[in-house]
Amino acid sequence: MSCEKHDWKAYALGELDRPARAEAESHHATCVRCREELATLRLTLDTLSTLREEEIPRRIAFVSDKVFEPKWWQKGFFEKVLSPNLAAACVIAAAILVHAFARPSGPDPAQTQALIQAQVSAAVNEAVAQQTAATLNDLRPLVEQVRQTFIREQGIVRQ
Amino acid sequence: MIFREVEDRDLIAKARRGDVEAYNLLVSRWEKRVFNYLLRLVSNREDALDVSQDVFLKAYQNLRKLDAPEKFAGWLFRIAHNEAFSLLRRRRPEAELIPEMGSPDSSGRLLPMELSLAVESALKRLSEDQREAVLLKIYQGFKFEEMAEILECPVSTVKSRLYTALELLKATLAPTVWRGDAQG
Repeated sequence: MSCEKHDWKAYALGELDRPARAEAESHHATCVRCREELATLRLTLDTLSTLREEEIPRRIAFVSDKVFEPKWWQKGFFEKVLSPNLAAACVIAAAILVHAFARPSGPDPAQTQALIQAQVSAAVNEAVAQQTAATLNDLRPLVEQVRQTFIREQGIVRQ
Repeated sequence: MIFREVEDRDLIAKARRGDVEAYNLLVSRWEKRVFNYLLRLVSNREDALDVSQDVFLKAYQNLRKLDAPEKFAGWLFRIAHNEAFSLLRRRRPEAELIPEMGSPDSSGRLLPMELSLAVESALKRLSEDQREAVLLKIYQGFKFEEMAEILECPVSTVKSRLYTALELLKATLAPTVWRGDAQG
């Protein structure tokens, strides 16, 4: 049993301040029990220090978040090119969907058909009239010539 | 040691700004110590490695909360302590197997490997709190005050655990080690 006054464990573990250490050392020189106590303690600590430190089986490392971040050119592409296009496509898609579901009901197909038919007939009639007029114009000198010939022949006959 | 502290502080500052490579360098400096501390606490290599990874991940995620970079070591071991005891609490229902002590060879003197195994076995016979106190003091070199911060308990409790552990270790190791020593 060592002297209660001195904390040899704190001494051996380097936890005493300088004055307490000096006091313990002066006592150590004169006390057999304390010498034995400290020697046993040091032997225990030396034995504990023989424990092998093991190598870590796998190194620990973390992957940089930057790896997963887009590069500057990718950022430019995503921010300046892809995103506006994507946004525009989304807007168009939304507009189509809204139009598809919310548009007013259209005209009756039969009416549309009749209207188209009328327009086609009018166009055909107009074309025929124009063609007829053009043909009459072409025939007018011939008719005049025939008429003059006829008049002349009539006059001959009267004479 | 002073230069090392400055460098660690610099690495911490860089890691706080998101420099993962700086943090990896910091990890490489501390991983072996943390791993060995955890290995002695949880007594399983795979668990110790898994917990080590968790410790460094948590440390990275919480690096901004570290008030004083010069206290990084204590802060890191506090995380390691919390993670290890979280594992030990989950594992507690399982029966713990304590290996037999190493025995001296025919000459009575223990070989270095046997001595190491004897110490490992003696450490396993301590309670978790006592063992941790020994690990932090003897193998990691923390001061009593730093240990109190890591373990979140008074210095008196730290000393009590450590002193009891040393008495037990002395009693456990003495018959094996010193008998061999006396015969040699």
